[in-house]
Amino acid sequence: MTDMTRTLRLGFDIGGTFTDFVLLDPESGRQTIAKCLTTPHDPAEGVRQGLSELFGGELFCGLDVDADALEIAVHATTLITNALIERRGARAALIATKGFRDTVEMATELRYDNYDVQMEMPTPLAERDLRFDVTERLDRDGNVLVPLDEDEVRALARRLVAEKVEAVAIVYLHSFRNPVHERRTADILREEIPGLLISCSSTVSPEIREYERSTTTLANAYVQPIVSHYLDATTQTLRERGYVRPLHIMVSSGGVSSAETVKQLPIRMLESGPTAGVLAAIEYGRRMGMPNLVTFDMGGTTAKIGLVINHEAKKSNVFEVGRVSRFQKGSGLPIRIPVVELIEIGAGGGSIAQADGLGLLAVGPRSAGSAPGPACYGRGGTAPTVTDANLVLGYLNPDNFLGGDMKLDAGAAWSAVETGLSQPLGLGVERCAEGVFRVVNENMLAACKVHIAERGEDPRNFYLFSFGGAGPVHAYELARALGMKGVVVPPGAGAASAYGLVASSVAFDLARSHVTSLDKADWPRVTAVYEDMREEGLAILREAGVGAGETPIIRRFMDLRHLGQGREVAVEIDEATFATGDLEGMSQAFYAAHRLRYGHAHDHLPVELITCRMTVSGPSVLQSGAAATQAVAPGVPEVKGRRPVFFPELGRYVETAIYDRGQLAPGMSFAGPAVIEERECTIVAGPSASVRIDPLGAIFLDLNTPKRMS
Amino acid sequence: MTTIQVEYPEVDVGKNRALDPIHLQILWNRLISIMDEADIALLHSAFSTIVADSRDYAVILLDRHARSIAQAQICVPAFTCSLPSAARTMLQDFPPDSLKPGDVLFTNDPWICHGHLPDFYVIKPIFHGGEIVAYFAAAAHVSDVGGRMDELMARDVYEEGIRLPPCKIYEAGVANRPVMNIIAANTRHPRLVLGDLGAMTGAATVVEEGIAQFIGDYGAAALDEVADQILTRSARAMHDAIAALPDGDYPYEIECDGFRKPTRIKLNLKVRGDAMILDYTGSDDQRADASINCVLNVTHAHSMFAVKCALVPTVPNNEGLFGPVTTVAPEGSILNARFPAPVRARSMTSFHLHNAIFGALRPFVPDRVQAGSGSFWWMTCSGRDAANEPFSVHVLPNGGTGAVMGKDGFPTMAFPGNGSLTPIEIIENRAPLVVTERSMAPDSGGAGEFRGGLGQIIRVRTLRGPANLTLRPDKVFFPPPGLDGGLPGGKGEFMIDGEQAPFEPFTLQEGQELTLKLPGGGGYGDPARRDPAALAADIRKGFVSRAKAAELYGVVPEAE
Repeated sequence: MTDMTRTLRLGFDIGGTFTDFVLLDPESGRQTIAKCLTTPHDPAEGVRQGLSELFGGELFCGLDVDADALEIAVHATTLITNALIERRGARAALIATKGFRDTVEMATELRYDNYDVQMEMPTPLAERDLRFDVTERLDRDGNVLVPLDEDEVRALARRLVAEKVEAVAIVYLHSFRNPVHERRTADILREEIPGLLISCSSTVSPEIREYERSTTTLANAYVQPIVSHYLDATTQTLRERGYVRPLHIMVSSGGVSSAETVKQLPIRMLESGPTAGVLAAIEYGRRMGMPNLVTFDMGGTTAKIGLVINHEAKKSNVFEVGRVSRFQKGSGLPIRIPVVELIEIGAGGGSIAQADGLGLLAVGPRSAGSAPGPACYGRGGTAPTVTDANLVLGYLNPDNFLGGDMKLDAGAAWSAVETGLSQPLGLGVERCAEGVFRVVNENMLAACKVHIAERGEDPRNFYLFSFGGAGPVHAYELARALGMKGVVVPPGAGAASAYGLVASSVAFDLARSHVTSLDKADWPRVTAVYEDMREEGLAILREAGVGAGETPIIRRFMDLRHLGQGREVAVEIDEATFATGDLEGMSQAFYAAHRLRYGHAHDHLPVELITCRMTVSGPSVLQSGAAATQAVAPGVPEVKGRRPVFFPELGRYVETAIYDRGQLAPGMSFAGPAVIEERECTIVAGPSASVRIDPLGAIFLDLNTPKRMS
Repeated sequence: MTTIQVEYPEVDVGKNRALDPIHLQILWNRLISIMDEADIALLHSAFSTIVADSRDYAVILLDRHARSIAQAQICVPAFTCSLPSAARTMLQDFPPDSLKPGDVLFTNDPWICHGHLPDFYVIKPIFHGGEIVAYFAAAAHVSDVGGRMDELMARDVYEEGIRLPPCKIYEAGVANRPVMNIIAANTRHPRLVLGDLGAMTGAATVVEEGIAQFIGDYGAAALDEVADQILTRSARAMHDAIAALPDGDYPYEIECDGFRKPTRIKLNLKVRGDAMILDYTGSDDQRADASINCVLNVTHAHSMFAVKCALVPTVPNNEGLFGPVTTVAPEGSILNARFPAPVRARSMTSFHLHNAIFGALRPFVPDRVQAGSGSFWWMTCSGRDAANEPFSVHVLPNGGTGAVMGKDGFPTMAFPGNGSLTPIEIIENRAPLVVTERSMAPDSGGAGEFRGGLGQIIRVRTLRGPANLTLRPDKVFFPPPGLDGGLPGGKGEFMIDGEQAPFEPFTLQEGQELTLKLPGGGGYGDPARRDPAALAADIRKGFVSRAKAAELYGVVPEAE
């Protein structure tokens, strides 16, 4: 390539174990992938290494291009999540309204486990000796009831210096209605302590409900110093390699923002890695003409399931980070930011199977992780895991794990299942291995069903888009049990997230609580709230390089409920309804959404607005059809070998053909049962699957006659 | 009736090949996940703070014989004991063969349901192929059922509000308007009450769809088989856990605030082989001057909750667990009140039962019992706002939980009930109130090797105009007890402008400030054995003052 215009897109995703890189040429659709180990002590070091590997020691030399050809570098990471889980953030203080410094520790008062008196709870990100309160008070409409005591703030500044505080979160009651006291406090602190990092709740999470707003703002402060440092180091690394344009960051809601925006709101980077996986699914779906997908990412410890409807990821406005107990809802810290909704289940390759107190077979959520790992890893693990069961069932090839770099010990897997399950349950080893496979599938199935049903969707209309190390082994059974159309495994399933980075547009989500009954709403005030958000959103787009000539896409949503109801439903308000201030139309849209979700609505009750939301985005980065397809060569691929593999729907092992993914070309097709092996994952196609390779190189397992698990 | 025990047909689980341990686990989890879906549907569509925030409700799946087999994982534990028995009583009035698809049965009779009128119970038969295959059952505490404004002073149940015997509120899918109108006409908050009732019946739809899919996947016979197996295996788990305890009589007595005079609860916990008898003979007589009486259903339900926590915490809740345990209380006692005793605030009694059971069981399961908890207080604030619109908000704050062996208690957390406090910003949006403080109360956690969780201080003013307040404080005289040498938690206090506030309903005037101090949890183990580093951290964070550290722990840590 000699074209020196900026066209290439670089994506890199720093995960807990691996850092993945993708370099995409949007015109040819050609992508290059690299993978290296994450270096947690200094993640930028891993980035340096990876860039060297990807480009043969000198940036882009391998591809015969230089950094000037790079249009954009987009980054995602799980390091924020890890810093929160491992409590490796900054020394952060919280400043609250007088009388409310304990909100983050008093939490919701709800027990997430009814019966376990030994239950654990997450510790607050600022202990009580670093939580302070200041004289000030607003009422529910944002009117000042008690003025801010500025002398108290100045005295507090001296205390913060003495306590060597690195970052501060300011959370005052009702500040989402009027940020005046939070902003004044921040100004005073900046005067007194130049360079102090400050997070105001009216900026980070301007939404009603003080506990969630406090944990979110405090989490932002807690990670801000490390994120700033880390993004500066990463930017510097790219500079050294000749890339001088701004670094872009994937945010939790699935858009891309500038590093400068994210340095102010680092909590928006939470879970950006898994989010990028869903964006990869959206992009493949767009290119394959598949608007609706269920995404399924299964790794060593957890499985993550997401929903794509009409080329859009389903979003949620709260995420729980660092669950301390078995992935149980309520055992983590609620972070209220817009996120691509992913449900996480404690089901991965390392999940441990055991006989429970009732003599039943239970799988997970305890995981053997990567150390000691499954018994078959031969690293000292003795408990039977999902990976061990998969080996007994013939799904995995002991000589092909990570392309043969790591040998699996089939004997160790067998004896782990025998000792851990066969003996206590009184069933054969193979029957127990089948049980592990089916129970873990059923756990994911149950979660999937709840998730899809909550959204009012029917799984039978979807393909399951599967990636991650363990996903494609389980995807066929999951899709079959849900009666889905089939499974799609994209090319480069091991680095799907990084691909999502390069395919995403600039976008940002904003929210402001504004509580009012719609029938009595002061409409100009509501539109002023939206106008405020629009201006803020456009500034963020500009900073991320969206030019003046490009038309941004603006979408408005409202969190609505029946007057007096406990929870809200997010409803999109279309341009015409908004422009005309059609309050009746908004109410009707709410009743319809409530009816769809809960089966009933109270049409005679007025509707109450709680929170205004907006998504602003730049133009789409990849043109449809831009991706070149590979040459199509119908035919049947060569069989690499055969081995006995167990299929639940047949209830027995059958001699099964094994294929090498490297030998599969677009246009080829064959019938299940089959096992397809590639370096990072194994794809299992059961007897009801027709396998085909599409023009993009994705593997389809079509389920023509959907059957339910029995 | 003086005893409660449930009996089931025994099924030989060994012979049933069709439902081996793997298959059963899969089917059982599926039923629980259906109920979790119903739980979310109810929660998210509810109207009142008491349901939507405080989570005072439950959803349960009953089999065709109206035995409880699966419940949502976080719902109020005690309801799950009384819902199935209430369902069976309703089905005596409306026999199953008389029911049609779309019928919904309803009652709030305290002697059938859960011991006081605000607990609304509904059951809906689930049909498949023209036959009833299961029932959906839901309970929820509604905002108001008329009656007296106070919580504690009724002389009989008639003073406490409207009571509806079992009736159909939906017949073949059509709402029974006369009954709905009677309910609406007898509550101060018809919108909240009918809204919550809609959320309860709406959740049934989710379960009907889930069960239809379950039967589509596994067949109707599988539902019956899985029900038998769940009940039998759960009963066996409870029997085994009881059998591991030594035979004998284990008496334990506690005292609690009651109303205007203390209540004495006397328990003799008897272990007989693989069965347990909870005998409350000798406890106080029922009261004719205070709404703190428990019907036997409630006594049994709250006792079963504690026994499950201590013996089989991880087995999913279902009626099979209840069979091995018999609850005995003499008729006419405060734990088995005769109709028409006043019962409105029965949790002033029932929420203390677990302390007696944990005390009796502590020698055998020291790490599975918990010292006394601060638990919740009840406050209703109502009146008219500046625009003369009526407002009503329930505020249900919790004290700290008791310590357990190996862990301090948690600050401000529900136990034995379960629910959250409505966020202050929501309270202030619903009512013209200003909460001027909500903070952890220093020195309120009971001293011990493991410290009780801290209670909380809440201060409330009105923004403009007066507000009518009804308050139900507890543990003001008898604080949450410690265990194994741990000291009790801090007592509750409640004041207006620094003066003791009345137990009776009162009006908070503009300019006045109400202060609630909710009790802390009890400690576990001798305070002298507390880890000095843990005590130093308590002092640093202001959980324990230096003076109290010296007085209660006998140590004065050096200033940092």
